[in-house]
Amino acid sequence: MSNTINYGMVIDQERCIGCEACSVACHIENNSTKFWIKVETQGGIEKDTPGGKFPNLTLSFLPKLCNHCSNPPCVEVCSVEALQKRDDSLVVLDQKLCTGCELCIEACPYNAIAFNEEMRLAEKCSLCAHRIDDGLEPFCVICCEGQAIIFGDLNDSGSRISQLLLKKKNFQLGPELGTNPSVYYLPPKTKREL
Amino acid sequence: MEENSEIRKIRTACPQHCGIDACGILAHIKDDRVIKLEPADFPEERDRRICLRGLYSLDVTYHHDRIKFPMKRVGERGEGKFERITWEEAYDEIVENFEKISEEYGWRAIGWVLGGPGAGTTKFGAYLRIASLTQSTRVSAWGYGDAGLPCGSRTIFGHQFPYFYLFGKFWQRIWSEVIIVWGTNPAETMPLQNMRKIMDAKEEGTQVIVVDPRFTITASKADQYIGLKPATDSALALGLMNIIFKNNLYDKNFVLEQTNGPYLVRTDNGKLLRGKDIGEKKLESYVLWNETANAYNLVRRKNVKDASLTGTYTINGLECKSVFQLLMELASEYTPEKTEEITSIKAELIEKLARRIATAKDVTFITHMGFTRTYHGDISLRSMITLASITGNVITSFTSGNIPATLNWNPFLKAIPDKPSFHRLGILNLYNAVIKGQPYPIKAVWFSFINFLNQCVDVNKVINEFFPKLDFIVQTELFMTPTAKYADLILPVCSFLEFSDFLYMPYPYLQLQQKVIEPLFESKSDVSIVSELAERLGFGDYFKGGEESMIDMIMDNSSMSGVNREVLKKGAVKLKSLPEGSNIPMSFGTPSGKIELYAEQLVEDGEALPVYLPPIEAPITPNNKKYPLTFIQGHSRFRTHSSFANVGSLLEMNPEPVVEINSIDSEVRGIVSNDYVTVFNDRGKTTLKALVSESVGPGVVNITEGWWIDQFKEGSVNHLTHDIINPVQEKVYEPNMHMNDVAVQIKKWEE
Repeated sequence: MSNTINYGMVIDQERCIGCEACSVACHIENNSTKFWIKVETQGGIEKDTPGGKFPNLTLSFLPKLCNHCSNPPCVEVCSVEALQKRDDSLVVLDQKLCTGCELCIEACPYNAIAFNEEMRLAEKCSLCAHRIDDGLEPFCVICCEGQAIIFGDLNDSGSRISQLLLKKKNFQLGPELGTNPSVYYLPPKTKREL
Repeated sequence: MEENSEIRKIRTACPQHCGIDACGILAHIKDDRVIKLEPADFPEERDRRICLRGLYSLDVTYHHDRIKFPMKRVGERGEGKFERITWEEAYDEIVENFEKISEEYGWRAIGWVLGGPGAGTTKFGAYLRIASLTQSTRVSAWGYGDAGLPCGSRTIFGHQFPYFYLFGKFWQRIWSEVIIVWGTNPAETMPLQNMRKIMDAKEEGTQVIVVDPRFTITASKADQYIGLKPATDSALALGLMNIIFKNNLYDKNFVLEQTNGPYLVRTDNGKLLRGKDIGEKKLESYVLWNETANAYNLVRRKNVKDASLTGTYTINGLECKSVFQLLMELASEYTPEKTEEITSIKAELIEKLARRIATAKDVTFITHMGFTRTYHGDISLRSMITLASITGNVITSFTSGNIPATLNWNPFLKAIPDKPSFHRLGILNLYNAVIKGQPYPIKAVWFSFINFLNQCVDVNKVINEFFPKLDFIVQTELFMTPTAKYADLILPVCSFLEFSDFLYMPYPYLQLQQKVIEPLFESKSDVSIVSELAERLGFGDYFKGGEESMIDMIMDNSSMSGVNREVLKKGAVKLKSLPEGSNIPMSFGTPSGKIELYAEQLVEDGEALPVYLPPIEAPITPNNKKYPLTFIQGHSRFRTHSSFANVGSLLEMNPEPVVEINSIDSEVRGIVSNDYVTVFNDRGKTTLKALVSESVGPGVVNITEGWWIDQFKEGSVNHLTHDIINPVQEKVYEPNMHMNDVAVQIKKWEE
């Protein structure tokens, strides 16, 4: 077991009901101008609609946020060091240093960094670093209606998050990009049809 | 108090009309302003909860459109022109009008039209108490979509609600092998109290099946979705029973011991055979056929086990069949092929579903109001419960868990024990009381926590025939809703953070909705308004002590011993647990004390058995050329009925109403997503955007309810609905509104 902390997140698509309480919680907690977590519909083209033909349908949800990559492309392009990869793996933005050049927004392959039109600066998810530093969980985690978001230390093999990743099939977004996200997903379970 | 002296934290609870979710809320307050809401702690951490609306509740409390002071109408009704008055003037106006009307028509001509109080109790109780004291009319809002389920539950279980009989163990986290979610969408309407548990159960191996005409988010979580035509639930239940009976897969012992299945029915008049019919001294005793003795027996507690469930017998010259025999005969008509024809579910799938239900160790049926909002919705519920009963899936005793709280409603339902209390009218009966003076005239209405015009059926009728007949309309409100515009007097009320109430939800907890800040502007709590009005009507003594004394009054019951207002200020309290080794039978309040598969009181109505009767209007068979589409109203997570519809932050996520239409129906009409379309029938029309979606099957269109009338391009959902009364529901309990039993046509909008 490594003695450094490596925070990460697991989002269980089986339990996500697409309610967007995470988006709202994050918006309130961080006073953001845009949603830093966006819930994507997997199924039909329009939000909340299923794919297939009635009554043989599928619908699931994929909440997307900053992946707090191990190799974050945004940090690499930030010339003023406003974006930092913390030792505990969080990728955080210091708006006081940000110049609003938008290079990070272009660099992020996950479209996870937003532009704050009022301040003309970047804004992004810090995984609620301010709460983590106070010993609290990210706000989206405690507000998740489906209890689908699990937060913890990926380096602690005894943590719930590590155990889940050990036992359950999981995936990261864009594994081919070499970013190595700290956000993992558990796909919906195979349906046991009649 | 926290270490940061500037920020205070108070635990309260959200009482919105999503009802049983009743989230515990921790409010953060700075300089008398609430700055943040977060999920409060519960004794069990996994019960901590909040939803997206709860998170955005400050946008209600601090909404710039809040009604800030009492207002009196100066323009025409509906025009929205009001002038500010003082509370003193408002009370004078009310007293003057009430006195004038009561002199001419009696106090019963004044109706308190109370909508859904949500998880709240005393804010509702206060109005009952004043109605009781003045012997005016309490207009019950059950018929506002929520009477179909009680009608069915009262008939088969003899109890207002079926929940504890069907899923009391589920609420105690005892999972069954199969869960069937029937006609309800907890993922959007009860995500915390029900959906979370469904997902917990599924994670631990339960197979989840969802029966719904609409592919809801709940359906998306199911192992198997069963999509059926609206209002055909009884046909499905009978089709399933048919297969179960044919293959002898029913739970014989359960039927014998817990239901009136073995009781004999006279074939000449459909009545249950009684002692008096066959010369027995016990005149009212039910009769069964004893298989081994080959003779009849009067029903006693212990002899039901030996009863015969099938066959035809002649006793004293009267031909009789058991209830169960009659049920089998009814079900035999519903072959898989015929059931497919009615419901549109494939025969093969019906066969598989029946076998799964019958062979699983246990099945939990989770249900709510949605599918009962059809003309025969009460029978839909009964048929589903009959299916649960013949497979032994009704809970008949409790061996563990927490004892539900019983509230002391007496002082509210009957304020003075030896005097008559209020008159009672169902909300659908209110239409005729106002329009035709039947059964007696109502001349004044007081609307509280209800957006009547928006949420009740047949808007054009309400505007053109109902409102003009009223001499006086009062509305307590936070906002200028479509209904408030028609009021003569609007009284500003508090949001939930500005007053206290007692909540006995979510099971198994008790909570205090604790006042967090003082009422904003000139708003008052409902309890304060009633108390101050009561003072002027000479009943002030009954309301001394305000909200707090009301809370103490309603909590005055042994089921809450040791728990009081002070204790609840600190947090939610768990209800008392049953002692180990308990085995408490659940009683059935039916005439026989059994689960009544056969309701003798409905013989004349042809509904003694849970028969399948076609919907009153929903064109499930293509015989209605003019209006060939069935219109249903699902519920949205962005609103609680019509609450939150005006909250900007939620509107950013879900900006306007849409009608969901299947691609088969949209293509023949040349409609694509985002086209404006008009949905219409003979009663009215509404224009809104189309969303072509497979979430509804062919022949069905859905608009989620709760959008305000002015949020549509024209009309609204209830411009399309009807006020047809089902007389059986009126007889059993009170008539329900049938929002999901409506025929419409759709065309592209013509400007």
